[in-house]
Amino acid sequence: MMEHAQWLLGGLLLAVALLVAWVCWMLPEWSRPGIYFAVTVEPAFRATLEARRIFRGYRLQAMIHVAISLALLFAGLEPKRWPALIVGELWLVVGPLIAFLIGRERVMPHAAKPSLVREALLAPRAAHLPGGWLLQLGPFAILAGTALYLRWHWEEIPERFPVHWGVDGRPNGWSMRTPAGVYTPLLLGAAIVAGMALLTYGLLRETRLVRAPGSGKAHLDLAHQAAYFLAGIEYFLATILSAVALLPLTRNFGAGVVLIAAILLVLAIFPLAHRLNRARTPYASVSENSPAPVAGDGTLDEHWRLGVLYFNPEDSALFVEKRFGIGYTLNFARGTSWFILLMVLALPVALAFAALWRH
Amino acid sequence: MRRDPPVLRIDLASPRPAVEQIASGLRALLVAGDFVPGDQLPTVRQLARDIGVHHNTVAEAYRALAGEEWLDLRRGRGATVLVRRRPRPSARAEQSFGQRLGELVAAAIADGVPPDAVLSQMRELAKKLGCVNRAMRCEPRTRRTR
Repeated sequence: MMEHAQWLLGGLLLAVALLVAWVCWMLPEWSRPGIYFAVTVEPAFRATLEARRIFRGYRLQAMIHVAISLALLFAGLEPKRWPALIVGELWLVVGPLIAFLIGRERVMPHAAKPSLVREALLAPRAAHLPGGWLLQLGPFAILAGTALYLRWHWEEIPERFPVHWGVDGRPNGWSMRTPAGVYTPLLLGAAIVAGMALLTYGLLRETRLVRAPGSGKAHLDLAHQAAYFLAGIEYFLATILSAVALLPLTRNFGAGVVLIAAILLVLAIFPLAHRLNRARTPYASVSENSPAPVAGDGTLDEHWRLGVLYFNPEDSALFVEKRFGIGYTLNFARGTSWFILLMVLALPVALAFAALWRH
Repeated sequence: MRRDPPVLRIDLASPRPAVEQIASGLRALLVAGDFVPGDQLPTVRQLARDIGVHHNTVAEAYRALAGEEWLDLRRGRGATVLVRRRPRPSARAEQSFGQRLGELVAAAIADGVPPDAVLSQMRELAKKLGCVNRAMRCEPRTRRTR
């Protein structure tokens, strides 16, 4: 008999698996017409019978992998079968990746010669954060507001309060009413949000300018959409960490607020994916006189390892558009990219350490 | 009137090194009067990123143009277009130009470009150069509104 907490965890896993399934289902559609399964092709290729056959094969395999991982995840809900939970999580990532690599192998014989003509607008360009500083300051305002509220209600905070709960719902970790004990989640939140704002600025500054045909001017549509998405995550994290910081006063997780924030974030993914997809217009010349779409995305197939890792020491761009998936990836030939990757990986590690320290 | 900024175009498949293509592309725009003294060019990193080459390649092209007194390169200020006085032509430069032009025309005709088209393009160029020549005499020019 499954307990309440297991049902909750099961529901969460199902939601994650369904989201992953939807992303896997859509992934091949989310690339510029000159790119298919991370291979440079003629823009008309994706409408051919062979391309559709490869697409269907990929989707079938990806869905089988998602179903297997889901079965493993549910099996792992039983305490004695916890290793299945880890295998299931890994399968959810590796399985669809294998399906993609098989699809890529099948597209490779149809690879086209990419255009090697490069164009640039000869005017200085400044990186402007979408929404301005006001939007970027929002998450900091949430954290600061929470800090002030805690300061005003300091006397109401118990000397010792729970900060960690077991699967059975009983507290098993405690913290004391000290500035470090009370404000750590907020400080951690401020550090994460600052890091993400810096990443957004770097993305807008270090990305190549791409113009869509017919738009009349060069733009950074995709980067701007990605910046809005990152801002959404910043707001979400600020809300979550504020709810955590308020635990000593609210005595529960403030599940309502967090749940609404989580639902809003997940729901935001759908229209955002649609907008990002629309932004992925054919790669074209930046000059008004040659607006025709060309094969490829301004990078060469040989610089993409397994179609997902970009490695080109001759390219000064730090961020390049992903060939499979939405958003940007790093140019791993540059040392700064590894530093950024380390910082991003340090984020969950810092959260885990903070949780353990409070525990 | 607001004008779109000029576009630099290079072909990485060309046997000509990228640095040479960038320098000559920019020089052509400078000679054609697409920039006026005081205009700012993109930073080395921005231009390198947009055309997908190493920043050293763009830096070398900028240095070459700075050596010809087209650009002023100051740390932290990017590249600024300078007021440039036309240098006194040397006999060797004129002879070299004549030889290169002759070779270029021969190559174009060998590639099938009709001699009439070559002549017409040279006339167009001469007309454009005439305008530039007149403009260069009346410096300093008024700054273009961006």
